[in-house]
Amino acid sequence: METVKLQVFRYDPEKDAAPYYKEYEVPVEGTLLNALLYIKDNLDPTLAFRAFCRSEVCGSCSMKVNGKTKLACKTPMKELVETWKGKPLRIDPLSHMNVIKDLVVDIDKPIEKMKTLIPWLVPDPRVVPTDPMHESIIYPEEMKAYRDQIHCMLCFSCYSACEAVEDNSRYRGPFAFSRAYRFQVDRRDIETAKEKRIRYAISGGLWSCVQCQKCLYVCPKGVKPAEDIQNLRGQSVKKGFTDKPGARKLKHFVDWIYATGQINRLYLPEEVYGNKEAREKLTKAYQEMGVEVWEVPKPTKGLMKFRDIYLEILSKENKALELDFSHVRKIDKMVSDIFKADICTIVDRAHERGESAKGLIGKLKELLGGK
Amino acid sequence: MLEYDIVIVGGGGAGLYAALWAAENTILKVAVITKVYPTRSHTGAAEGGINAVLTHSVGDSPEAHAYDTVKGSDFLADQDAVDIMCKMGAAVIYDIAHRGVPFSRRPDGRIAQRPFGGASFPRTCYAADKTGFYILQTLYEQCLKNNVTFLNEWFLLSIIHNGERVEGITAWDVRNGGVHLIKTKAVILATGGHARVYWNRTSNALGNTGDGTAAVLRAGLPLKDMEFIQFHPTGLAKTGILVTEGARGEGGYLRNKDGERFMKRYAPEKMELAPRDIVARAIQTEIDEGRGCGPNGDYICLDLTHLGEKRINERLPQTREHAILYEGVDPVKEPIPIAPTAHYSMGGIDTDKLGRTPIKGLYAAGECACISVHGANRLGGNSLLDVLVYGRLTALEAVKYADDAPETNPSFAKVKDDEKRILELMEASGKEKMPQLRRELGEVMMKHFGVFREESSMKEGLEKLYEIKERAKEVKVYDTSKKFNTDLISVLEFLNLVELAPAIAIPAVERRESRGSHARKDYPERDDKNFLKHSVIKLGEDGSYQLSWKPVVITKFPPEERKY
Repeated sequence: METVKLQVFRYDPEKDAAPYYKEYEVPVEGTLLNALLYIKDNLDPTLAFRAFCRSEVCGSCSMKVNGKTKLACKTPMKELVETWKGKPLRIDPLSHMNVIKDLVVDIDKPIEKMKTLIPWLVPDPRVVPTDPMHESIIYPEEMKAYRDQIHCMLCFSCYSACEAVEDNSRYRGPFAFSRAYRFQVDRRDIETAKEKRIRYAISGGLWSCVQCQKCLYVCPKGVKPAEDIQNLRGQSVKKGFTDKPGARKLKHFVDWIYATGQINRLYLPEEVYGNKEAREKLTKAYQEMGVEVWEVPKPTKGLMKFRDIYLEILSKENKALELDFSHVRKIDKMVSDIFKADICTIVDRAHERGESAKGLIGKLKELLGGK
Repeated sequence: MLEYDIVIVGGGGAGLYAALWAAENTILKVAVITKVYPTRSHTGAAEGGINAVLTHSVGDSPEAHAYDTVKGSDFLADQDAVDIMCKMGAAVIYDIAHRGVPFSRRPDGRIAQRPFGGASFPRTCYAADKTGFYILQTLYEQCLKNNVTFLNEWFLLSIIHNGERVEGITAWDVRNGGVHLIKTKAVILATGGHARVYWNRTSNALGNTGDGTAAVLRAGLPLKDMEFIQFHPTGLAKTGILVTEGARGEGGYLRNKDGERFMKRYAPEKMELAPRDIVARAIQTEIDEGRGCGPNGDYICLDLTHLGEKRINERLPQTREHAILYEGVDPVKEPIPIAPTAHYSMGGIDTDKLGRTPIKGLYAAGECACISVHGANRLGGNSLLDVLVYGRLTALEAVKYADDAPETNPSFAKVKDDEKRILELMEASGKEKMPQLRRELGEVMMKHFGVFREESSMKEGLEKLYEIKERAKEVKVYDTSKKFNTDLISVLEFLNLVELAPAIAIPAVERRESRGSHARKDYPERDDKNFLKHSVIKLGEDGSYQLSWKPVVITKFPPEERKY
């Protein structure tokens, strides 16, 4: 019988001064859960881990194998042995939660955090009949909006893998945002609850997510919290919650890219964080380095056509509203003031002179080479 | 000591729905104690759907649903209870839909329904192939919304009553260790089934060990119809993990080693969609008579290949995933090896049509209860309905009772007893190893009380069960720590199974007829003259099992031959 060594994290806070690893030899057969049950039945009954359904619906047996988050009942031993080429497999409890014993972690905290985001339906009486014998009509197409989120089974894999949880203890966790978002896109949920969820999401670290996408990769059920978080951010901006750095950054990106085809590295700190000195400091620094700086980026080739495409994309995504045209007009004015002409003429003139992006890089190379 | 007005034991479908209805209808103090976090309960594994006649189910009626249920039960179900359940179907479906359960919908936006085994109309409402999962998640959300108190990872030990009314329970706090007395006026048991008694071959989760049912038995209270255990026809051959009835509902074929669709010899009309007991027996017969597939001829093939990849992916995604993961077979390309697997306990805690036990304030709902709405065989899609209807009814009964009931005064003696019992387990000889004994228990149950049963074999089996019960006294708990002692929990669960096993075996021996899931080779016919009655079993003062019988409630549907 083929076997492999598991190095399992052991820690009983009552007895052990510090955690340690204990090695067990297990058959390469079935799933990782089978291997753990094999240990418990044949080698060491004191090993503690959670397991229940055996068939990837209950979410009890999530843990880490050589640092990677896995659902034990969904992880064939053969696959592990092939991936790690027969090397010992180190089994650890999930991260970001206190260890109660061995592979069992305290999941109360993430549940408490989740609760604050109103992860339940608050029915709108205009859509959901109060008469219990009256059916509420839901069309199959509208259910697509939340078809992924409803698979969340509270295994806390994403919470364990999350970068933002690491940095911000108030951060609610990827799954919590997904479970809240599920109701944001449900027609039956009342508008006042939706607005409240946004407020609470912002307070719970909505803008702290660094979009590392780990949650999306570790989810055993195909939920995509990183995407849901982006969508919640979109909703928050649309609802007028624009006073957070994250929201302002989004606004900066959207507006400047529409106006000029690129972001403005000089204005970014000021517009996002209100840092007024940054522009001057940066200008000075760039000049000292011999890098040519413009207060306003030179509009790119084909800008007007680009604007049309950009607008079309935004409106398809139902995000056209996020474009702040008064801001865009201000940028346009800066462009015309600096380049002494209106935006259309500048772009045309720039093209006539053949100052394409390629030319600009060439110019930079010249400058750097010159030093 | 903890103190509540109503304590619900179990956080699955029945427990959560009871908690929700109790929380919304009273200011009494309600708590749910559950040995796993609620969303991990086994309701989440229910795939196929939930039966109900809805307002748009043209041509169908609650009466037709009741008839199908009674016929499916082989006329052992109590018809007054079945009547209640079927009439409440639409009300509970709309209620949970309004709370957010994402039922699959028809193009016109109404709840979709599909055909299921033993039903005369397509009345099974579903949410893809994860109906139970979505119901469980939604109920949990709604409980959070209503601020329900949860004691998560607490294990029920004993029920305290004074012979008339319930006074409290004792429970082990898994996380911190320690036996606690919980004083309460009413207790709703919603602890699930006990099919884990067939340890080596079951579709059940690791913890479906009948903890509530065993506690009732230990409390000297009656269990009913325990001989009836449903074998699901299609469990994966290697692990017993379930392949949903939906696989046959979508058009899957069952084939023996000759490639023959053998169901035509057993249920020519309904074929693969005959009720579960009939299909399970057909499969077992094919295997027993040497027409099984594989090198050992010990399984049958569930053929979905003709459905095509697209349909399988759309309608049966979980089935495909499980077949690949646990059986190493892709159903798109090859048939799935399957065999019957112990699945559902029709029998359980003896209650009346409203879920009340003989003890005031003590109720049971869901799989742990025997109301009885499933009689000798449950129809697919009726368990989720049972869970919701009786979760809700027992909650309302408990509220009504606890509202007026005087304070209780449970004695600490039970705590001392339980503490002593646990200490003894830790100090036992260890001559017997629990995992080994548990495997033996599973083997005995499967061999002597499996799909087919026979007097001499069952008597032999019963002797072995008594022997295992004796040997179980030598089982030791090796982990002596207080915190999260899963060794202790496993042993307590095992001991519950050991206590329940004879309660299944004894009435199985005494019921000398074949009815529903109880199929006897020596008595192949149903015998209404002698056995149209419920078996009732309880423990006497001396610890012996005492069997008695009680009549079946028959209202509208007189027993008739059961043909499909």
